[in-house]
Amino acid sequence: MLLELNNIYKWVQSGGQKIFLLKDINLKVEEGEFISIMGPSGSGKSTLLNIIGMLDVFNEGEYHFLEDSVHSLKEKHRSNLYKQYIGFVFQAYHLLDELTVYENLEMPLLYKKYSSAERKALVADMLDKFNIVGKQKLFPSQLSGGQQQLVGIARALISSPKLILADEPTGNLNSKQGEEIMEIFKELNKDGVTIIQVTHSEKNATYGSRTLNLLDGRKV
Amino acid sequence: MFKNHIKIAWRSLKMDKMFSSLNILGLSIGLTIAILLFAFITFEKSFDTQYKNYADTYRVLVNTTGDAFDKEIMATAPAAVAPTLKDELPTVKHTARMLQHSFGETAFIKANNNNFLEKRLFWCDQELFSIFETKFIKGDAATAITRPNTVVLSKSAAEKYFGTIDPIGKTIKVDDKTELEVTGVFEDFAANSTIDCNLIASFSTTYFFKEPSWSNSSFETYVQLKQNASKSTSEKQIQQILDKNVDKEGQWYTLTLQPLSEVHLYSKDYTSTYTSRIGSISEIKNLSFLALLILLIACVNYMNLMTARSQKRAKDVGINKTLGASSKSLIARFYSETGLLTLIALCIGVVLSVVIIPVFNGITGASLDYNFLLRADFILGMFLVWLITTLIAGSYPAFYLAGFSPSSILKPANRTVSNAVVRKALVVLQFTASVVLIVGVLVVYQQLEFMKSKDLGYTPQNVVAVSTAAIETYTNKQALANEVKKLSSVIEVGSAQGFPGMDVSGRSLHKDDQDENGKNIQTNVADASVLEVLQLKLLAGKTLPSVKQEGDTLVDVVLNKKAITYLGFTPEEAIGKKVDMQLGDDATIIGVVDDFNFESLHKPIGAYAFHNSRFEGRPYLLVRFNSASVTSTMQQLEAAYTKVAPDSSFDYTFLDKNMEQLYAQDRKMAKVGLLFCLLAIFVACLGLFGLAAFTAEQRKKEIGVRKVLGASVVGITQMLSKDFLKLIGVSLLVAFPVAYFLMQKWLEEFAFRVHIGWFVFFVAGMCAVLIALLTVSFQAVKAATANPIKSLRTE
Repeated sequence: MLLELNNIYKWVQSGGQKIFLLKDINLKVEEGEFISIMGPSGSGKSTLLNIIGMLDVFNEGEYHFLEDSVHSLKEKHRSNLYKQYIGFVFQAYHLLDELTVYENLEMPLLYKKYSSAERKALVADMLDKFNIVGKQKLFPSQLSGGQQQLVGIARALISSPKLILADEPTGNLNSKQGEEIMEIFKELNKDGVTIIQVTHSEKNATYGSRTLNLLDGRKV
Repeated sequence: MFKNHIKIAWRSLKMDKMFSSLNILGLSIGLTIAILLFAFITFEKSFDTQYKNYADTYRVLVNTTGDAFDKEIMATAPAAVAPTLKDELPTVKHTARMLQHSFGETAFIKANNNNFLEKRLFWCDQELFSIFETKFIKGDAATAITRPNTVVLSKSAAEKYFGTIDPIGKTIKVDDKTELEVTGVFEDFAANSTIDCNLIASFSTTYFFKEPSWSNSSFETYVQLKQNASKSTSEKQIQQILDKNVDKEGQWYTLTLQPLSEVHLYSKDYTSTYTSRIGSISEIKNLSFLALLILLIACVNYMNLMTARSQKRAKDVGINKTLGASSKSLIARFYSETGLLTLIALCIGVVLSVVIIPVFNGITGASLDYNFLLRADFILGMFLVWLITTLIAGSYPAFYLAGFSPSSILKPANRTVSNAVVRKALVVLQFTASVVLIVGVLVVYQQLEFMKSKDLGYTPQNVVAVSTAAIETYTNKQALANEVKKLSSVIEVGSAQGFPGMDVSGRSLHKDDQDENGKNIQTNVADASVLEVLQLKLLAGKTLPSVKQEGDTLVDVVLNKKAITYLGFTPEEAIGKKVDMQLGDDATIIGVVDDFNFESLHKPIGAYAFHNSRFEGRPYLLVRFNSASVTSTMQQLEAAYTKVAPDSSFDYTFLDKNMEQLYAQDRKMAKVGLLFCLLAIFVACLGLFGLAAFTAEQRKKEIGVRKVLGASVVGITQMLSKDFLKLIGVSLLVAFPVAYFLMQKWLEEFAFRVHIGWFVFFVAGMCAVLIALLTVSFQAVKAATANPIKSLRTE
């Protein structure tokens, strides 16, 4: 088992009232799964993804990731955990504007203190794998949306995470580009990477092995 | 990693060119000032350090003990001190006396058949060249001025007097009487040397060499002690030597040693020093304070502009954190960015200061050259400035931005709001400092204007004092006076020992025999017309008699009101009374004039007397002339002078110009203050501009919504500007009391000062508001006219 959520609640205080963003969420994810989270706007999809990614905290419940109990970990340990095991892919790509494709890919490795030779090898691998060797010297603003997302995925993968979290990865792309990205996810999943994606699209959801539907913070 | 930080920093600099240039500009200005001031301070502190015996050299100070002299410390000592110490003080190695010509007068020099005026002729002991090792181009330092009637010239003086002719063996004539043989030429003293003689003549020529006294304290005396000799032990021994040579009655002073390291900066309040290069530690402190203030404003400015881009930064931080960046590495990254920017600003600052140095020298009267750029302590200092600026300016972006939570990239709405207070406080701080500076400059200029226009009790305008020291006989002086009187543009002519604005003879005034302390009084030998020339107001009695019989021992005295008030008389009562003021037993008051400011307005009016005793001479001809044509009057005066004294140069002083000279230091501070003030305001505006841009960016959505709902451009501009006016309002509230307090303190240095009125605050406030509005409205209009569709579109 990769991770397990038990009775997760998250709320915010507004005008003396508790507004629930997530209510009693239970989820078990095995390694190698490809899960799609669906639901209308405001149903709590992104909040749930952030909690799984340990970028956000919850108010009640338990979260186990591998052997660790996330709910009882200190901030620092928590961030070490996600840095080691989780890669993020964003709807707006979130590449670093000042860096070239090559440097964007290299960034996570720098933070993880890989040696220069290792970095070179890994980045070269990734460029090769995603067929973007020719683009390595370009800046994000010189790429199309689909290409940017490709780099985003490559960057998320470069330090071989166990889990990829993707928040509407095709939301800013046209249908053809979107399809290509989903195909890549499918390939990655085949190779054993666990993926959790948030999506609006029924079609994209079908790439996954199972779908989690949310409405008003509850699983339906 | 570090290389990567620098790479990112460099690229983000290039990406946002406007912000980067605002940032660098602000920092460069702050740093330029810091560099200049640092160079200035380094220069001032370097005084006399070039001399090998720097650590062992001292100047003898005379500390007056008698009550008659208001306690003072004199930088000149009696002539007997140097030779006696040389003989009797075991720790001494060398001693040397320096006497400026005629106790500080201009010398009339005739050399190579030309006439010159020389302000820096000194009569010195040979050993001066051992204490302050002096490089001789011609002649021998060890023997050049041992004989009487010898003189050595500085290289530039030799060129001035003799051109290309070899001066050795030639003679020069001083004041048309003393002939001196030129025995050497020395390399000019460096700009940072307290000793600044052009001509050094042998002390043995003077009367004081043969008859050194323990009372006439007019000789700047330097001693070089043996290596590692203790100052305090030597001072004790000096006291014993003094006791041995001078009986208790005659000891109106004690002698102390002032280390050479303190001579330049800590002698401002000592009287009768001869050097023209007197520094002031308080000036250095004031300037450093101002420089630090500007640097702080520049740092604050940097923080403001950095956080103004926090929207984009927040996203970057979020991404980096999800990619595995720790807070530490982000702090390092922001510091690298600040460090890089500061380094660029520092380089620009160095270039700018090199360009500005001549202007700076002009304003401050400093003589900085470009050598300091290569000095090790300057380079080290610059490194420290860079480091400190980086640490301060980088602190806010580094810690504030690096603290963003990674999830903030997913929730754009509530980022950055919490620190709005800090940012506002920074702007308030900047503007407070600027307003304080504006008020300061206004008050300083008001005071200067006040000093220019104040009724001094006499009229210094259109009076010129012509020096007649070089004219030998009384008959010739009289001839000159008559000659001048005939000129059509001359209204009145008088002769006197001195004039208001210069020190004359200090004596003490006593009520009676019981009055041991007495009161300091300036006494000035004058003739009948002087009161008329100066346009003094006679309150009672009459002016000095125009003719005085030969052998008449009676001394007539005209006192000012301060003096007779001290004696306890009304003006009318005082007439005919005898007065005890060290002018003999027959000094009688014959007139009383109203008080007038014979010293700078820094000082309250003291007692003053005009008299006609024969103890002292009257080397000045005071001439009041028509204001119509100053140039032609001066030409006529010179012609008359040359007719009577063909062998000496024409030396004169305008009384009003001389008075202005007393405020040179104040004017200098005013100019520096104004310069700093303008720069500070400029930098503060950059900060405000940044904050306005930031707010506009942050409220983009709100502005979009308001526009969609029908708000006008004017309305939105007003809305955005109003918030800033509130900040300026707060700044004014903080700045006014601070400025009032500081300027009141500054004004305390003046006995006669302006009242700080509401008008100053009104003007300063209006300036601040106007400048702020202009800065802010640019951004506000830009935000208000932007297309709302863009700002309302979500990511």
